[in-house]
Amino acid sequence: MTPRLRALRRCFEGVVPASIATCSADGVPNVTKLSHVHFVDDEQVALSYQFFNKTRENVLATGRATVEVLDPETARHYHLHLQYLRTETDGPLFETMKARLAAIASHTGMSKVFRLLGSDLYRVLRIDAADADPAAEPGPDADLLATLRAFLAELSPCTELARLLDTTLLGLERHWDIRHAMALLLDSRREVLYTVASRGYRQSGVGSEIRLGDGIIGIAARERTPIRIGHAVEEYRYGQATRRYYADSGGGAELETEIPFPGLPDAGSQMAIPLLAAGRPLGVLYMESPQEQHFSYDDEDALAVLAGQLALTIELLNHAADHPDQHDGGSAAPRVQGRPILIRHFPADNSVFVDDEYLIKGVAGAILWKLLSEHETTGRVDFTTRELRLDSSLKLPEVTDNLDARLILLQRRLVERCPAIGLEKTGRGRFRLVLGGPPRLSQMPR
Amino acid sequence: MTPTAPDPPLLDAARAAFLAGPVSINVASRDAALVPSVARAYGCRVDAGRRVTLFLAEARAAAVLRDLAAGAPIAVIFSRPRTHVSLQLKADRAELMPLTEADRAIMHAYADAFGAEVRALAHSAAFAEKLMQGCFEAAVAARFTPTTLFEQTPGPRAGARLEPRP
Repeated sequence: MTPRLRALRRCFEGVVPASIATCSADGVPNVTKLSHVHFVDDEQVALSYQFFNKTRENVLATGRATVEVLDPETARHYHLHLQYLRTETDGPLFETMKARLAAIASHTGMSKVFRLLGSDLYRVLRIDAADADPAAEPGPDADLLATLRAFLAELSPCTELARLLDTTLLGLERHWDIRHAMALLLDSRREVLYTVASRGYRQSGVGSEIRLGDGIIGIAARERTPIRIGHAVEEYRYGQATRRYYADSGGGAELETEIPFPGLPDAGSQMAIPLLAAGRPLGVLYMESPQEQHFSYDDEDALAVLAGQLALTIELLNHAADHPDQHDGGSAAPRVQGRPILIRHFPADNSVFVDDEYLIKGVAGAILWKLLSEHETTGRVDFTTRELRLDSSLKLPEVTDNLDARLILLQRRLVERCPAIGLEKTGRGRFRLVLGGPPRLSQMPR
Repeated sequence: MTPTAPDPPLLDAARAAFLAGPVSINVASRDAALVPSVARAYGCRVDAGRRVTLFLAEARAAAVLRDLAAGAPIAVIFSRPRTHVSLQLKADRAELMPLTEADRAIMHAYADAFGAEVRALAHSAAFAEKLMQGCFEAAVAARFTPTTLFEQTPGPRAGARLEPRP
């Protein structure tokens, strides 16, 4: 029986090196080791092109290769008969393979040697199971489907973004034993991803930012493709040094660097899955583990389905938020008692400092300043997301912006850094400013 | 008949010792339509005449054995998992023959040594054992005299042809 390619995916995790045989046009065979066979779909695999060598010369001449892969658990041997199609030098396949190759290179001490020049795409003509014993092929994991169903059922009743994201991160831990995860949303105007929710970190890192294209989170969003690596890779980690490098490495919007990114400094496995709604990236679900090879192909499949559902729900909630519940307009609150809170606002980057401590900047900073200024002038404490969206001074990106996400981020930063100021949701599209002391506003010169 | 080996031999003592070490051995050949075949070998012997004899498992090497029996050329890579040091040998043909008792002893010793190497790379003992499972019963020897030798350690020098060392 010819196994389906997807049943062999365990063989493509890079645990056991594969070998590739080719033949020159004049009939001389060649054989070498392969660090990485990449599963594309049931008909195609891709091999990394790192050097122009005999293998490549032969493949370009004859179009044919035969690859032997081993199952890392059963040690069964499979022969893939391949027909060369083309080479890709950018795009999702290339970036995914580059990240995975970097992981394998780092794991095997070959970081200085392995460099991806291209992804060679092949059609799989035939698969031979080389062992005589036709033991059962590894089948799909039925548990995974049942788990996914249970997980999605928990998301279904979530009618607001904060709860949706928290339920997702909790579910990752409960159903998948993924203990370190975060949800980032895309600010498409500034081309940065900002952390809205996280779980499993000493500091939440809410408000921290990653530039589109940086690390596996940034690449997953830019290329709209999941990226999963099973070994520690320095250049894809989100340690402080790497982030400083990213922040300094030119181009694009100024990055939020005051809030440390919460990533594990010694991640052994990383997986970033883009949140795509109708093909448009809304953000990234990022998961990591200190253990190597923690995430499998099957996990990636299931979590990609989850991420799709999550993206659609975010999109739905975002539209719903535009139509707030009817209400009798903003109400004035009684005079606030307590110790005064000193708040300074720097209009250049909308950064806000509370009692000399940095709180937030950017859109979230501008929102807070607007609410406090409005309160100072009118005494109002009740607001709607709609009035914020219509306020051109906030410079919210149109259409794609998720205002709710900014409010969640702001609310969580306040809880962490400034409990004297709070934001409470009072209904769909409505929220209230809760003050533990009278604010003393100070607008700094530009 | 004694095959003629190049003089000085392509395989000096150090290279011969490397081939007989705990290395991964992968063999390739091709059919009349130049479609490549590939299989793993389980140990090798280098004799005084610098001929190399590989041990293949019939079940896992059907295509390679068919191609070699038809007189097609052979290519073999020897690669040490722990260091990635690799050599590729080629020859115009290989002769297939049954294993001797001495060959079987070498094959068992190889299984132990290579198994230890694989376990040292964090693979389970069960995997190392399964890797060798069933290879001893139906094994075939393939003997050839290498005519060309290539550096195959990953890197820019991979593929460089090596000359005999005096």
